[in-house]
Amino acid sequence: MFGYKKIYDSGIHSWPVVIFIVLLILSILFLAPTVGVLLSSIKTTRDIALGELWRIPSELYFGNYVEVFNNPAVGQYFINTLLVTVPATFASIVLGSLAGYVFAKLPFHGSEILFLILVSGMFFPPQVILIPLFRLFNSIGLIDTLWPIFLVHTALGIPICSLLMRNFFSTIPIEVREAAILDGANEWQILTKIVMPLSLSALAVLATLQFTWIWNDFLWPLIFTQSDEKRTIMIGIVNLRGQYTVAWGVQGALSLVASLPTIIIFLFFQ
Amino acid sequence: MERDKRFWRIVLLTPPLLVFSVLIVWPLLSSFYYSFTNWNGFSSNYQFVGLGNFQKIWTDRLFFQATINTIIWMVSALLLPTLLGLVLALLLDSKVRGGKFFKTIFYLPICLSAIVVGQIWIWIYQPNWGLLNTFIEEITGDRFRYAWLAKPDSALFSVIIAWSWQQTGLSMVIYLAGLTAIPSEILESSVSEGATTWQRIWYIVIPLLVPSTVVVIALSVINSLKGFDILYIMTGGGPFNSSDTLAMHMYNESFKKYLIGYGSSISVVLFLIALIIIGIYFRQLRKFDQIYG
Repeated sequence: MFGYKKIYDSGIHSWPVVIFIVLLILSILFLAPTVGVLLSSIKTTRDIALGELWRIPSELYFGNYVEVFNNPAVGQYFINTLLVTVPATFASIVLGSLAGYVFAKLPFHGSEILFLILVSGMFFPPQVILIPLFRLFNSIGLIDTLWPIFLVHTALGIPICSLLMRNFFSTIPIEVREAAILDGANEWQILTKIVMPLSLSALAVLATLQFTWIWNDFLWPLIFTQSDEKRTIMIGIVNLRGQYTVAWGVQGALSLVASLPTIIIFLFFQ
Repeated sequence: MERDKRFWRIVLLTPPLLVFSVLIVWPLLSSFYYSFTNWNGFSSNYQFVGLGNFQKIWTDRLFFQATINTIIWMVSALLLPTLLGLVLALLLDSKVRGGKFFKTIFYLPICLSAIVVGQIWIWIYQPNWGLLNTFIEEITGDRFRYAWLAKPDSALFSVIIAWSWQQTGLSMVIYLAGLTAIPSEILESSVSEGATTWQRIWYIVIPLLVPSTVVVIALSVINSLKGFDILYIMTGGGPFNSSDTLAMHMYNESFKKYLIGYGSSISVVLFLIALIIIGIYFRQLRKFDQIYG
């Protein structure tokens, strides 16, 4: 039960029980908000308004979900979000891998500083580049398309992808590279044929991170899109609040449906 | 050989650096430029106003309020999730039954977007049937209909609680990784020395978790500067700007009032704050490497 790293006295037998109970209480508190939304999404508006929000529903009611799936706008929001998220995840990982490879395996004079500048891009509040980017995309007529969101997320992903890929590539033994060079391979072939296939675990972690990050983003689509046909799902949640002002159950169902992709990916990569 | 290497460096580095420069470095520099103008975002002509925007910042009561709120936000975002995450990590590190299950529950909010988290907590704070007021009514037996998000006294703090609920899982995971790295010999020898559990946690485990704490603090501070989405959906900075942060204030000035020049200067201030924090952080990290490295 309890042999692992003895932080706690093994002499006291009640430790495991105490810890278990404390964790149980905390996890119930932690789950309450999510469970509340789940419960409200299977209730009628009347039940919720009667103050029955946090009680187990007397009957399962799926009308809220039917409402969500029958709303044509929701499908469009989902498609838009996928159209941004998947390509931007892919592009940022590709670009980050290229940079990471050079910093890990082909360092040069001044590459340390360059790498530091690149990585510090992770830390800055996005508000700083908001206005010039809006102006840039406005001048080439890309406002209210999905392009700017895709491009910005690709660029913003480069720091974290470069950092993680560089760290991972550094762990690949130098001999692997030398053997390949003796066989006449060039850097491109080493990267694509040998190093990348060895990095699948790092790539999976990055893909999860980037996908979740971009899927959940709100600021960039808020700035770059205006018409409803181009909105992403997170903007959609905020927009549909107006449409379903008192239909709390529908709002709850929509929030859960919008979070499903990231939750599934998280549980899958557990 | 060396020429070969140089060729590949250029070929491989050009695409990422080009994208990064055009979409991040150049806009950053432009922001500085616009912060000295009175551009409104539409008209093709605008004037240089020198330091006018920055003088306005000094006298802008709302900017002052937003700065105070950003600091409150930062400090609370540091304390709450960090401490709770540490407690959870210490509890989970004991190989308790169902540990993996508990870990998943605490980590789950991280997958949710700030918008969904905000939406969930709006319902908790809902005055008439929200979880919080219902709960208080059950306990006290009196009617309780306080509007948490609509009162200047409680709006900011209510959002901070929601934010902490989401961020706790993150610090927990970092601390768990730190705990895994502690060699069990150290702990075992302290057992034979006769140290109590509390002594062990206080004098051995916590000091060994300093590196993890450095990471957690950096992440919380950086994240709190970006606090925008959750505020946008929960309060929009209101009521009466009582929950405005700098990020929120910048958005309102630029995209609600179209004071693009002024908005740029707020973002420049935000950038400088971030720069100072990162600077301090990297310096501490270097010192740290000399001591522990």
